[in-house]
Order: sequence, then structure tokens, then C-alpha cells
Amino acid sequence: MAGVGLIFFPAFDWCITPDHPEREERLLYTRDQIQEEGILDLPQFREYRPRMAAEKEIQRAHVFVPSLRAHITESHLIAAGGAIAAADLVMGGKEERACALVRPPGHHAMRVVHGQRGFCLVNNEAVMVEHIRQKLGPEARIAIVDTDVHHGDGTQDIYYNDPNVLHISLHQDGRTLYPGTGFLSERGGPGAYGLTVNIPLPPGTGDEGILAVMESLVLPILKDFQPDLVINGAGQDNHFTDPLANMQVTAQGYARLTELLKPDIVVLEGGYAVEGALPYVNLGILLALAGLDYSHVIEPDLTRYNLRQNQAVTETIAYLIDSVGEQWAQRREADLEGIFGSGDFFQRNRMIYYDTAGITESQRSCIRLCSTCAGWERIETRSDRFREMTCAVLLPWNCCSKCRSEAEAEYEEAAFSRRFRKVALHDPQKDHFTELRK
Amino acid sequence: MYTIGIDVGGTNTDGALLFGHDILAVVKVPTDHEDLVGSTRAALEQLLKSCPAGAEIELQLSTTLTTNTIVEGKGTPTAAVVIPGPGLNLDQCGLDLPFHVLSGYVDHRGRVIADIKADQAVDAALEAKRQGAEALAIVGKFSQRNPRLETAAAQAIRGAGLEFSYITLGHEIAARLGFPRRVVTAYLNSQVAAAQERFIRAVQELEEFRTIRILKADGGTMTLAQSRQRPIETILSGPAASVMAALALTRYTEHNVAVVDIGGTTTDLAVVVGGLPVYERDGAVIAGYPTAVPAVYSRSIGLGGDSEVHLTVEEGRASFTLGPKRAGKPACLGGAHVTPTDAISALRLAEVGNREQAVAALQAFASPHGLSWQEAAQGIVDAFVHQLCQAIHAVYDELEGRPVYTLAEFLEKPELMPQVIACLGTPAPAIMPAVGEKLGLPVEILPCSASANAIGSAAARPTTGITLHADTALGQMSIPEMGLFKEIERPALFDQRRARREALERLVEYARQSGLDEVPELDIVAEEAFNIVRGFRTVGRIFHIGAQIRPGARRIRVKEGT
Ligand SMILES: [Zn+2]
Ligand SMILES: [Zn+2]
Repeated sequence: MAGVGLIFFPAFDWCITPDHPEREERLLYTRDQIQEEGILDLPQFREYRPRMAAEKEIQRAHVFVPSLRAHITESHLIAAGGAIAAADLVMGGKEERACALVRPPGHHAMRVVHGQRGFCLVNNEAVMVEHIRQKLGPEARIAIVDTDVHHGDGTQDIYYNDPNVLHISLHQDGRTLYPGTGFLSERGGPGAYGLTVNIPLPPGTGDEGILAVMESLVLPILKDFQPDLVINGAGQDNHFTDPLANMQVTAQGYARLTELLKPDIVVLEGGYAVEGALPYVNLGILLALAGLDYSHVIEPDLTRYNLRQNQAVTETIAYLIDSVGEQWAQRREADLEGIFGSGDFFQRNRMIYYDTAGITESQRSCIRLCSTCAGWERIETRSDRFREMTCAVLLPWNCCSKCRSEAEAEYEEAAFSRRFRKVALHDPQKDHFTELRK
Repeated sequence: MYTIGIDVGGTNTDGALLFGHDILAVVKVPTDHEDLVGSTRAALEQLLKSCPAGAEIELQLSTTLTTNTIVEGKGTPTAAVVIPGPGLNLDQCGLDLPFHVLSGYVDHRGRVIADIKADQAVDAALEAKRQGAEALAIVGKFSQRNPRLETAAAQAIRGAGLEFSYITLGHEIAARLGFPRRVVTAYLNSQVAAAQERFIRAVQELEEFRTIRILKADGGTMTLAQSRQRPIETILSGPAASVMAALALTRYTEHNVAVVDIGGTTTDLAVVVGGLPVYERDGAVIAGYPTAVPAVYSRSIGLGGDSEVHLTVEEGRASFTLGPKRAGKPACLGGAHVTPTDAISALRLAEVGNREQAVAALQAFASPHGLSWQEAAQGIVDAFVHQLCQAIHAVYDELEGRPVYTLAEFLEKPELMPQVIACLGTPAPAIMPAVGEKLGLPVEILPCSASANAIGSAAARPTTGITLHADTALGQMSIPEMGLFKEIERPALFDQRRARREALERLVEYARQSGLDEVPELDIVAEEAFNIVRGFRTVGRIFHIGAQIRPGARRIRVKEGT
């Protein structure tokens, strides 16, 4: 019997604003449905309390500008702490699987945080993954499968150059939906090329399409990658009633997807059809996680919609499965010099928009091209809210000694430089995170 | 005013006579399982001798009647007719009872999405009858939000001329969320209704009492009339009585108290926070059935004065474990096995039975393992203390781990940890000082241990509570406990203050209906409020309010010599 630990924290007294999709009401009907079904009385389930994440645990995944305390609320700390508590249930052998139904979500929060993006401030999954790696060590291989309808751009950003974390995002095509990224060409940094896998689905994708992608693409990739843990960022906004997106997935589809994926840990992401979708999708996911029959979980609205997947959509998906599958198969043959250049650094300049906070960040990142490790990274960032420049120096897990001494020197220099108001050094291997504000 | 409390327990029937706050007399007679009313009568007759003729007396009764009826499977053959709608497959609910499924359903807001089919309800009832059911339970998912389908099914069945001795509707018996528990609760309610009815009739013939009240699993009392409607709520009143006794007798009336009741076979643990008992989160569990019956939180462990003693010797180190089964009568009381009571007797921690017999039994038990009887006796007492401390820790771990759903509850966690341990039971004075020392807590040995359950029954006060659910977008309000489902007048003006006021006013009304003359203190025990936002516009609000009469026990004084 599969034991499932549930961490449920609906934060019934927290909202971004009272009429925002991320409001008190969001998990109300889910709570009602779960309690009315009585599933927590079944021997397969146990409910646990979340805990509050410590500031340091959050910092493992983020550089906050100007500071963590300027942004964070207790709800964020409990959502991240809920994900950590879920991971601990599984790692400690207490439960076979765990599910953290917490809010607010996290997958749009990137490494550098100037404010809220896409309702997210703290990347709950990344905070959890870094907690897991501190426990399991640097060799742990982790796969994150993000099934939210929006591209998991925050999680992608954090793990872009990390060879031990595979990030797969299924989402509605970025040309038609926020945040407008997540294309096939985004495949990872020089130290982890191919380990960022984007599957941009056409609007109108239904159960048939998303399950085909799971079976013919995601599962083979996972089998190939051989992760120690599979994490599902379970957004529920692919649902046919979601007000923010245009997909046609049902509770049955989500449950079957979960059954196929068999994630060790599920963390709730988005999903804003609070009444018509969430109670049923969450129930379906929980039943599937526990290996229980979910075939009776049917939305009341189901019969009012025609959910036959359009032929053109089916064809696009078939093409996607082929293209992404091929990219995955040939990821090691890629011409890295052609993509990242042959210099000492690979440099990217980006403008990042924070829709929830209304901030625009400009960021320049340089990744050291190293043949021994994934290479250290230096990020310079400022925004129209926080104009003074911040510099972050990030060591990779498994940092080589050459990169370590270079990065440390770089940090020293930045610390003395007048250009920066704030400097940060992240050393996951030593679990050491230094921040200096001048 | 005289009060008589009687607890008809598994072995003995205890009685206590009170005048105001003072105990005048206690009695103990053996329980006759075939005649619980007879046992009650026997205890009554003795107590009435200490009571002036013609005095006004209120009787408060706790019995194992419904508990035994369920545990022994002697209730009326019953079937459930269920309206589950979509969701978990009922076959996987672990419902250990005969049920018949109807189509139709109500959603989480209480909207009827699909009606039932009357002929299907009639067919289900016919089928239930064919299979031998004499009573029915009709239960729908989310029926506490809207009972229409349950009522319609009952009407169809009655309209077809099908007769059942009792029909319980889910929304009348369980206001909380939790469909499987509601099914079980309604089912068991129908199952025990006839037995309760017979009991009530017999009790009414006993004597003239001013009032007769029955003890409930939540440690409160209800009237005989209420116990006709909701007999299921009288289950597990024994453990509840022991907690009420602790509340009535402890000197620590405002404190956090761990209540430990050490019996022969088991030890029961309960928790008091700030003078109020802690309740089960979802309801009582009886005979493996999880129900929605409100109950005092109580955990029973297989550890008591008569527990089995196990000894293992590994690498020259002896270690003792006790229970979970009962060994039988202690050797010092003429039994055949060594028990914790013998260790207590041998070490002179208390005077129990024949100490020489205890020492001899311990010697016979210990010497094959190369131990002296003193070492064995001390080892047994230490094991008792150790196991009890572990169980107390487990109880508080469980309670501390109870989920909460708001930041306020998460951040302002009430302090549960005990400031004192209050103990009942014969072995308590011998064992508990060591437990208190180990946990760093003062220990209070409560007086009148032997009659605790009767005292608890006498001390119990009426409890009653309601759950108000209002949905202003749908314009609907419900208080299932009162069978109240109505439209909200002027829903746009129905705010949190009005919701609160409505709940409290209705609670007063309900308390009066429940036979309470004076209305005691009322508490709002749960409160939720949500904006219903559709398309970036607030279209209404949902209020969920739990209100109850503040539970508690009458304070009881023990005079010297009683
Ligand atoms: Zn989303
Ligand atoms: Zn390197």
C-alpha cells in the first residue's frame, strides 16, 4: 500500500489582494471536498503540519533584492516550509509519497528576486530541492516535472546550469500565454545543456494530448535520466475551466498523469478555477498518488463542454513529441562551442518583467565555461524599483577548485567595488550563503 | 438540589449522590450485562437511602448500552442508502456495512447538480428489506449543505408504503464535513435506536426524577428525548465520564492538565487545556468505525494493574515490557500470573492484597532469569513508568501535530503542554509520582478514584453546539443540527457580524429546545469568512461559524470520610 503524506496549508487568511486569483478562497472548496470525501480517514493517507522555512533555507535558492525581509510574508515561509516538510516525510521513510497543497505558488520565482512574479515570490520547489540536496549530498539526481499551464520559468532559471537537476516543463505555448517563454531552444546552460526540457503545448490540448506527452516523451526522458527523486510541480490550470489559460485537461487527465508519473513529491503550483477544477483535480491527484480508484472523480461541468481535442492540436503534439525527443536523444552531441562560444565566459543579458509587482529587472549573467565543473556564475542585477546594482557570485554544486578560487576572488573584488550596493556569495557545497549590504 | 450520577460500566456500576457541590454517598454494584436498567436500579436504591424522601433529584446516567450494542453487533439490522455523487469510489471507503447507491448529487456549495430518482430509492429500500434490514440510514454527500436529496429519498420510501423501525437522515446526525463518517454515524444511529428506546422506557419507570439526562461521548449531557433522536451520541460515555470527573475534582481549574486514568487492563489518557477538555478532531471511533460523533479526546493504551509482564534477558541485561493484554487477576489477589499490581504490592508502594503471595510470584518469575524478586519488581514498575511516559509524549505529539489552516492559528499556537498531571485509578498513587518526576510535572492524585465515572456523570453539564454555514452568493444558510435550511434575507447585508449574531441567537434557541433553563456562557469555537470572487468581482461571501455552550463540569468537593 502506498502511503501518502499530505501537507495542507490553504492559508485561509492570506491573499495578494482580496480579489486576486491568489486569495483566501482558493483552496476552500478543495478543503471542503477532501474533508467531505473523508480520504484522510483511509489508511493510505496521513495529514501533517507544515513548518516555517528558515531564512537560510530560502536563501539557498534565491538572492533577494534589496533583502529577503523586505518581501517575505509568513505565508511564503510556510508554503516553502510545507514543501520541505513534504520532502522530509519521503526522505525520512515516513511516507512513500508526499503532497504539499500550499499557497502561494512558487515556480515563477527566479534565482534573483526583486518582487513577486506570476503570483510567486519564493520558489517552493527549489527551496525544497536545495534542502533535499543538503541531506542527500551533491550527487543526488533530481527531476522536476512542472505540469502547470504556465512555463516554469523561475525553476528553469534556478536550475538552468545544474547538471544534476532535470527540469521538464509542460505548458501552454509561450506565444499565447504568460510568461511568454519556454521554447524548445531553451535547453540549459553550458554545464547542463539539454537538461532543461520545454514542451510548449498548443492551446486546446486535452487529456489525450497531455497524456501522450507524458507517455511518449516525459517518461522515456525520466527513464534515461534515472533520477533519485521525481518532483511534480502540480499546477492545475491546464483544466478546461481555468480562467487564465486555454487548455482542456480534466480531473481524470490530471489523475492519470499523476498515476503515470508516479512522483515522489507533489507541490501545488497554480490553478485558479477554484470551484470547478481544484476540488476535483486535487482529489484526483491524491487518489492517484495513493493508488486508489479515481474513475469516479468527475467535474459537474464536464458534460457542458465539448472536450474533443482538435486534430490540428493532436498533430502539433505529435510533432512536439518527436522534436523534443530528438533533442533529448542528441543532447550530448550538441556543438557547445557553437552555442556558448569559446571564450572564458558565456554571457547573457536579460530584461525580466515582474507582472505581480510591476517591476522590470535588467540582469547580466556570466557563466564560467569550465571543463571540470558546471562553472561559477556571476549575476549583476538592478531594477526600476531597486536601482542600485547587486552582484551575486554563485558556485555550482561540485565546484572545481579552480572555479572556487576564481569565484571567491571575484566576490572579494565585488565586495570592495563601489559599483555594487549589495554583494552575495552562494556556496551550496559548504551550505554557506554570504550577503553584504553596503 | 440532589444529583445522582450513575455509570453502568463493563464490570461495575458506580453511583454517586451529590447535594450541590458535595458528595454525600458513593456505591458500587456489579453490572448485569443482560439487565443494565436492573444494575442502575440496584445502585439507585442504595443511594436513595441517603436522600430525604420527596427530595427533588436529577439523575445523570452513563451507560455502555449503545457501545455494547455496537461492539457486540446486537443492534437492529440496518442498511444505508447513500447518494455519493462523484468522488472517491465507495468500495474503497472501507465502509463495513451494507449500502445501496442512488444517483444524483449535491456539490460542495450545496447546489443540487442532479436529483435522485424516486423509483431508484424505493428499489434500494426494497432490496435492503429483502436482505433483512429493519432500519435505514439515508445519507448524501454534502447533505449538511443541502438536505433536499436525503429528504426526497426518505419521502419516496415512506410514500411507497415501505416501513422501517427507524430512519436516520445524514444531515440530522452529522453536521461536519466527512461523508463516510456521516454514513457510519447515521447507520449506527439507526442500529441502536430501538435498544435506546427500550432503555428509555425502562428508565422512566424507575422513580420520579426532576430530570433525567444521559451522558454523551463529548462529556456533556442530553435529555432523554434528545437521546431518542441521537442515541449514537451516547457511545463511549465511560471515558468521557472519567475526564469529567477529573475536571470536577482537580484543583487546577484553569490549567493545562494531562488526565491519566489507570485501570486494570488499560490506561486512558485525556487532555485539558486551560480548564477545557480537548476533543477528537473528527469524531469518536467505535469498534473500528470512525464516526462523526463529537467526543472527548481520549487515548487508551494496553497498560494497567493487571497487564501481562514480559521479560527478556539479552547479554545479561534484563528488560521488562508490559501489556498490551491483561494477564488476569494479580497473584496478590489470588491470580495465577505476575502483574504490575504484584510489583506495587511487593515493593510496598501500596497496600494491595496479600504481599507474601506477590513476593512469591515475583520470585518464581524472576529466579529462572537470575534476578532477585526486588530487581524484578523494580524493573516492572520502571517499565510501567517508562511506557506511560512514552504514551503521554505520543498524545502531545499527536495534538501538537494537528493541522491548522490559517496563519493566525499557525503563528499563535495555543500552549497545550501540561502543567500538571491529574490521576485516577487504584495504581495511580504508586506509579504516578515517578511519572511526574520523569516528566518534570507535579502530580495530583484525585480523590474518590473508585467512583470517578459516577462522579463524572453527576458533574457533567448539558453541551450543545451548532455549525452555521452561510453562502450569500447563493443566498442560503444552514444549521444542520437544528434542521434549519433557509434563504438569507437581504444577503447583500449579511456580514460577519450578522453571521456571528445569527449563530449565537440560534444557539440560545437550540439550547432552550435542548431543555436548558438558563443559558450558560457561549463560545464561538470556529470561524471562517471568505470572499467569493468571480471574474475579479466579489459576488458574495461564505461564512462558517461553529458555536457552542462552553463545556465543563460542576465543581465537586470531597468531604473527609466519604
Ligand atoms: Zn500557472
Ligand atoms: Zn570549474
